[in-house]
Amino acid sequence: MTQTHSISAGQWTDNEKLIFRFVFIFFILQALPLSIDLFKLLFGFNWLYISYGNIFDLTRLSAKFIPGTDSLVNWLIVAVIALIGAAFWSRSKHKNANYNELYYWLRVVVRYRLAIGIIGYGFIKFFPMQAPFPSISNLNTNYGDFTNWKLFSMSLGIVPGYESFLGAVEILAGLLLFFRKTATVGAVIILVFTGNVFISNLAYEGGEYVYALYLISFALFVLWFDALRIYNLIALERPTQPNGFKPYFNGTLRPMRTAAKGFIIFFFVFFYGFKTYSGLRHNPYQFHKTKGLPAAAGIYNVSEFRINNKTLPYNPADPIRWKDVVFEKWATISIRSNRPVLIDSLNYERIFTNDQDRNYELAGTGGRHYYAYQLDTTNHSLVLANKNFHYKGEHLKFNYSRPDTATVILKGTNEKGDSLYVVLNRIEKKYPLKMSRRKALKL
Amino acid sequence: MSDLSKNNNQDTVTSVTPAKLKPWSALKKNGFRVLFIFLLAMCIPFSPNWYKNVFTLDWSRPHYRDLYDIARFQPGFLSLLGGQRNRDVTDSPAGNAEVKKAKKKLKRGNENGTGMPPKKSFLVDYADWGIALLIGLAGGIIWSILDRRRKSYYELYYWIRVVVRYRAGIGIIGFGFTKLFPTQMPYPSLGLLNSNFGDFTAQKIYWLSVGVVPWYQVFGGVVEILAGALLFFRKTTTFGAILLIAALGDITFVNYAYDGGVHVYAFYFVVLGLFLVADDIPKLYNLLILERYTVPFRVYPDLSKPAWKYTRMGLKALTFLIFFGIMTYTEVINFKYDPYKQPATAGVKNLRGNYRVTEFKINGQVIPYNPLDSTRWQEAAFENWTTLTFRVNRPVLIDPSNGGGSPMRDIQRTFEISGVAGGQRAFHYYADTIDKVLYLQDKNVMALRGGAKGAGEASEAEKSDEWISKTAWAHIGNEKEMIDSMAWSTRRDREFAEKPKVTKRNRMVLHYDTKDGSQVVLTGLNEAKDSVYIVLNRYERKYVLPKSTLNAGKY
Repeated sequence: MTQTHSISAGQWTDNEKLIFRFVFIFFILQALPLSIDLFKLLFGFNWLYISYGNIFDLTRLSAKFIPGTDSLVNWLIVAVIALIGAAFWSRSKHKNANYNELYYWLRVVVRYRLAIGIIGYGFIKFFPMQAPFPSISNLNTNYGDFTNWKLFSMSLGIVPGYESFLGAVEILAGLLLFFRKTATVGAVIILVFTGNVFISNLAYEGGEYVYALYLISFALFVLWFDALRIYNLIALERPTQPNGFKPYFNGTLRPMRTAAKGFIIFFFVFFYGFKTYSGLRHNPYQFHKTKGLPAAAGIYNVSEFRINNKTLPYNPADPIRWKDVVFEKWATISIRSNRPVLIDSLNYERIFTNDQDRNYELAGTGGRHYYAYQLDTTNHSLVLANKNFHYKGEHLKFNYSRPDTATVILKGTNEKGDSLYVVLNRIEKKYPLKMSRRKALKL
Repeated sequence: MSDLSKNNNQDTVTSVTPAKLKPWSALKKNGFRVLFIFLLAMCIPFSPNWYKNVFTLDWSRPHYRDLYDIARFQPGFLSLLGGQRNRDVTDSPAGNAEVKKAKKKLKRGNENGTGMPPKKSFLVDYADWGIALLIGLAGGIIWSILDRRRKSYYELYYWIRVVVRYRAGIGIIGFGFTKLFPTQMPYPSLGLLNSNFGDFTAQKIYWLSVGVVPWYQVFGGVVEILAGALLFFRKTTTFGAILLIAALGDITFVNYAYDGGVHVYAFYFVVLGLFLVADDIPKLYNLLILERYTVPFRVYPDLSKPAWKYTRMGLKALTFLIFFGIMTYTEVINFKYDPYKQPATAGVKNLRGNYRVTEFKINGQVIPYNPLDSTRWQEAAFENWTTLTFRVNRPVLIDPSNGGGSPMRDIQRTFEISGVAGGQRAFHYYADTIDKVLYLQDKNVMALRGGAKGAGEASEAEKSDEWISKTAWAHIGNEKEMIDSMAWSTRRDREFAEKPKVTKRNRMVLHYDTKDGSQVVLTGLNEAKDSVYIVLNRYERKYVLPKSTLNAGKY
């Protein structure tokens, strides 16, 4: 590091140095992917074919010593280590290092870590996948049967243009952070934007508030560098000195810096951006990839329902009888009935590659039971497996027939082995969301 | 790090005498003249109604809407010139017949103040701003001719900043308070909770998504009020403006995305905010990006003479008193007793809740439950207030508004039904609790137009006053006085004193019979004058959605 030097260095008081030592270790530890998930992640990669999900997981790593969801306890551990480290540092021979230079390099690390984190989320919004348009099942579920978090996600999902806009703001902020002179502007954007994300996560009971706070703490650090200057100039309206420290690279450091910077921007912006784009086109991650029963997507009224050869008539209070059934475009069936649902409530962002792990459609919602199914078109059989982990191992087996395009008849057994005979008739349902907003709607 | 301002002792900005000020270029002078007049045209209310509100306001019995209406205005020259609302102007030519017809229907919806026509071309919405700009150009030319010798306008620049700061600050605070005490986006009522997500319009989904998290709404209010408060002080103006641009820029985008309908008003604040930060941008660019020594420069007029000083302090204090003091008081009252988007009258106590429709007879004939049947009620709910909602599998024209405005009469508060499809109905009722009769009227005024019965009922409206007998009225009481007396206001008195516009509505008169509400039998005439017999059974419904912890209204 001796190859950089400063033009005019600010003076550091002893207290400032003391605080800096702690801050330095704290943020370096936070920025490094010191996560127990790191190895799981790296070994999970298919290095020949890296997916956007892999890169996203990489961007989301933060210091983590306790398994499970993000927790502020991890921060506490980092803080304790930083305190101890700072104490040792104060006694070591390095205690009079060049603090301007250290500050510069620390800010570089924080800037890049923050940029990568915010861009990770930016692209899955810019190519609107994080919040997809609600599935047919979700559209046909009562408003009161969702958690706050799910409502938030679906409400965003109906306006992909707005979601892209939010993603664009995140990407822009990230790009500004890659450059020293524009970093403060990027940090301000993130503070406003992620500040809102943080409060939303608290309000909607989303699972990302710790991570949002993590990004905010980084943005605050980046802004701090210029905060007093800005206050002096704008609020006090006094003449103000600019930053006096300029890094100077010579010899081998220069090409190395260019190469490292180039690689990071290429990998996390261009490559990741391209991957998310093709992901949107070919394999968005919230819903299944496997196709469902051909030309069957829609909502069906249950016009006849026999259980163990006993017909149950229409009755809104019936605990067993199905009310309606949805076939999604992909291989999911959902059934609305009065049978209670224990909610599967994953509420932080995971990108799953395998269909059986993708549970967005049933996360945070009741009112319906969701089944993945295996289709055998030659034998006309459907094997349904309940997707909710609370009902693992629940299977329904049916033979289906389709006397016409709007009717599906299911014969088989439910999870308890009772025999079922169900006649489904498609409802030509119209949704205000999918209709012209310029006409009077009669629905 | 401590020597940020090296040359603290050099001339500070305020002490520069006008003689030393640098003259402006011709372009800058002309540009300023146009901008000055344009911004004045944007920031001064021109509508007669605004002045009528201000001068007839009864400060002894204020209503939050009195103050909100002071804070909320935007240029509306078209309505001044032609007596037309700016939205109607856009209804002219073009468009196919079907669209036109739909628009006509929607326009008629406006009679009630609830209809909101769909958006048209992007620019037409901003026609009033265009006129303001034309006024600015015309005024600028005249001014340039009259005032040719002038070298610069430093002081006037200061004053137009004051005007814009206060205009934007007051405006955004008016907005913010309805969120701080969350009434702008109500928590969904039973009827809304029981509707499918896919049966709402985009705009409804947005409104509800904020309504379900009242504390987040409070946060939004805090941000808006903070932005406004920062604009009232010179030193913090830029920070307030940045917050304003960020928050209202987002709201502008949200309104375009969800058809919220207030995109123009939201963008208005963005424009004012941009003007306020404009001259700090070059300074920040110089300091942060170019990393150069930066000397700020702004001229402040000398306000140290007592006359100026006290006028200034007085006006500022008055602004604070009205828009923080009285505003808080009236908003708290509104939140507690009369949340403006929800009906305020408490509903019949032992009827409230969700009901299954266990028996349904029409003209003596039993109709069994069938989700596809187009006359039978599927399910019903009595809200905490005077509304009965139920669902019938028969389409109606959707009320496309956002359920806003500030009507005093409960029947005109339509948030619970606007933007809701899926056969949902909401009827307001007057309850005669002595004879056990509910006098119900459809809250969706669009419903009748699309209904099978069409125009055949024109005569009904004329004899509208007689559908409730004098005795029944005596039992029902006076709606005006049904809310907590704390919330009574002159505005409320005036609105109830006006004769209501006769609007054709679907009506029902139903006798109710119940012991404790667990089972309710409704008998009487429905909206088609058929006799009905309906048995409702209450059931407890557990929602996944957490209950609100911040409930508006007193029921």
